[in-house]
Amino acid sequence: MMSLNQTPLFNHHKESGAKIVDFAGWEMPIQYTSILSEHKSVRENVGIFDVSHMGQIFIQGKETVAFLSYVTTWDMSRQKKGDCRYCHILNKDGTIIDDTIVYTLSDDNYMLVPNASRVDKIYDWLLSNSSDFDVSLENLSNDYFCLALQGPDAPRLLGQHLNTTVGSFQLVTFDKTIVSGTGYTGEKGCEIIGPLSEVIDHWEALVEMGAVPIGLGARDTLRLEKGYLLSGQDFNGSQTTIETGYSWVIDWNHDFIGKDALLDIKKRHYSKLRGILIEDRGIIRPGNSVFYQGEKVSSLTSGTLSPSIRKGIGMAYLDLDIGESVTVEVRGNHLNGRVVRMPFL
Amino acid sequence: MSEIPENLSYTKEHEWVSLQEDGNAKVGITDHAQDALSDVVFVELPDIGLEISKGDTMAVAESVKAASDIYAPVSGKIISVNTKLEESPELINESPYDFGWMVVIEPNEELENLLDSNSYREIID
Repeated sequence: MMSLNQTPLFNHHKESGAKIVDFAGWEMPIQYTSILSEHKSVRENVGIFDVSHMGQIFIQGKETVAFLSYVTTWDMSRQKKGDCRYCHILNKDGTIIDDTIVYTLSDDNYMLVPNASRVDKIYDWLLSNSSDFDVSLENLSNDYFCLALQGPDAPRLLGQHLNTTVGSFQLVTFDKTIVSGTGYTGEKGCEIIGPLSEVIDHWEALVEMGAVPIGLGARDTLRLEKGYLLSGQDFNGSQTTIETGYSWVIDWNHDFIGKDALLDIKKRHYSKLRGILIEDRGIIRPGNSVFYQGEKVSSLTSGTLSPSIRKGIGMAYLDLDIGESVTVEVRGNHLNGRVVRMPFL
Repeated sequence: MSEIPENLSYTKEHEWVSLQEDGNAKVGITDHAQDALSDVVFVELPDIGLEISKGDTMAVAESVKAASDIYAPVSGKIISVNTKLEESPELINESPYDFGWMVVIEPNEELENLLDSNSYREIID
């Protein structure tokens, strides 16, 4: 049996009574106290997430900008030192391999953060496409931690902890530690990335200041309320960026892997990832069937009860306009809902 | 440590059963079960009058993360359901043995194969 990875904070999580689950090969906390209360802490105060399972791939060399522009949907020549950019990494057929944030540490030194389950795949993909570029790649995912500090009080805690501020999608560095104005909750806050040996000090200090530990359960409800994609679930290898409704991550004025395929798909008819808001009482789950005028038209890629609006929310690839009525089948019952624009909150 | 009242009977599926003076069986889920589920945010209850067989799924308790089937501990007829749970499913977390009760069954057979509190504790420890 393959052994599961643990972050250096594993014992902290266990000792605080967290329920632990296997996530992408990692033993991670799904909740410490309750998903509802952790969700609320992030929306109203401040929460801290151990997301050290996320990857860190460093790219250096004279042609880093050209290389990263080729392998992602964004033109990195538009980035300045200190910028972060959310974009997609595509196969030649335009399907999404992963979504990622690219960090411009300097003109020829970049960091890319892939999802935990995609680290090896992305590193191999980057390597196999790098032969025509003067770049060197280093996968330091096992040497770096990532903590997310999220919520209205996050900027205050960051200021007290590291005596700094950081703008949205900007980054500041302290030696090997990188603080970016990014996250996965839609709240103010930052992510702190640095050498693994320093993670416990950061965690203990921020928790001491009042940051509430948040598990992967609330991470999922927080991101779904904001309509953020979950890698491997809302896209699983067969959907393109256009279909996810994230065309804004594409800079069409540059050449990149998958561009030709995307241009072809744009000319055709395609389904798009849409939000579904449930009006009846009940909870929808990933995989539940979606019906339109009595016929099954899709399945949910994501679904949960929104802790903030107390209604069922979900996503599905649909060829339907905003406002259309649908039903979602849960244990044989059809719950009424409609197609809505995301975010839900 | 889970609370396991001595005056109740239990199933391996983590339901409690309270035999009423009139012979009916009141059913809910145990403290251990509500803790494992965490925040209950939705409860699906059976219709009153429904005839059920022992082992049937008669209700569902859902947390944000998971749905959990509640099985009938005895065959019979549903004669009462806790409608308060529709608006306040959190009663199951706050008061699993009291305000969080789920259904009352009028049994058409003897209550059998239930566990006492000590036997139930052995299962969950």
